[in-house]
Amino acid sequence: MATALEWALAILGEILIAIGAFFDVVAAIGLLRFPNFFVRLHAATIGAIGGAFVPLIGVALLAAGCGFLGPYRWFMAGAAAVTAVLILILAPVGSHILAKAAHQSRTAVVEPKVVDFLEEDRAARERQEGAGGGEQ
Amino acid sequence: MQLETEVMLFLTCVIPIFVGAFIMYLIRALKGPTLPDIVLAIDSLSYDLAAFLGILAIYFRSALLIPCAIVLALWVYALDLYVSKYLISREMGE
Repeated sequence: MATALEWALAILGEILIAIGAFFDVVAAIGLLRFPNFFVRLHAATIGAIGGAFVPLIGVALLAAGCGFLGPYRWFMAGAAAVTAVLILILAPVGSHILAKAAHQSRTAVVEPKVVDFLEEDRAARERQEGAGGGEQ
Repeated sequence: MQLETEVMLFLTCVIPIFVGAFIMYLIRALKGPTLPDIVLAIDSLSYDLAAFLGILAIYFRSALLIPCAIVLALWVYALDLYVSKYLISREMGE
């Protein structure tokens, strides 16, 4: 018979998994509908943190609360928490290096743009290098 | 026994939502115009697949599915690193 603590853990985990499913669908729609790469990056970060980190914490709580899973449920809870922390660290770093590489190699356009100091600095540096190379 | 039926009913309702999101990610990964778009879609797809593996592990009551999620998260980070390295310097890292 399930105790009150198991019920509380299971319901808390289910709430987190439901929030994660909602953010997952939102991120997928955004990734499908947004116009270009740097705008889609916003939707992708929602999908990584809201759609993967939050439901994995929910899976950890739910596995800790489900007594019918047997003694291996502690292994499941611990491994799910470790995966959640890994995704919390690795997903922003991955999207950041991808955005930096896309900007630096000019594969993606910066379309809704107010100001782009990185591009201006690079253009000025290249002009300076070109002038220096011409003198030699 | 009551908790078990409630949890199984909840997971049965949640799994189709995740599968629908995966289909939308796959469409973006297949038709993404540039290379960073494809990598970004595969990135999000794999992180959410890791969460989905955790849900499947509870649904099938098998603890063996969880370590696959850790490996998946780490390999997708490696994919990010290699593609960024290729985009910047036009060569794979050695």
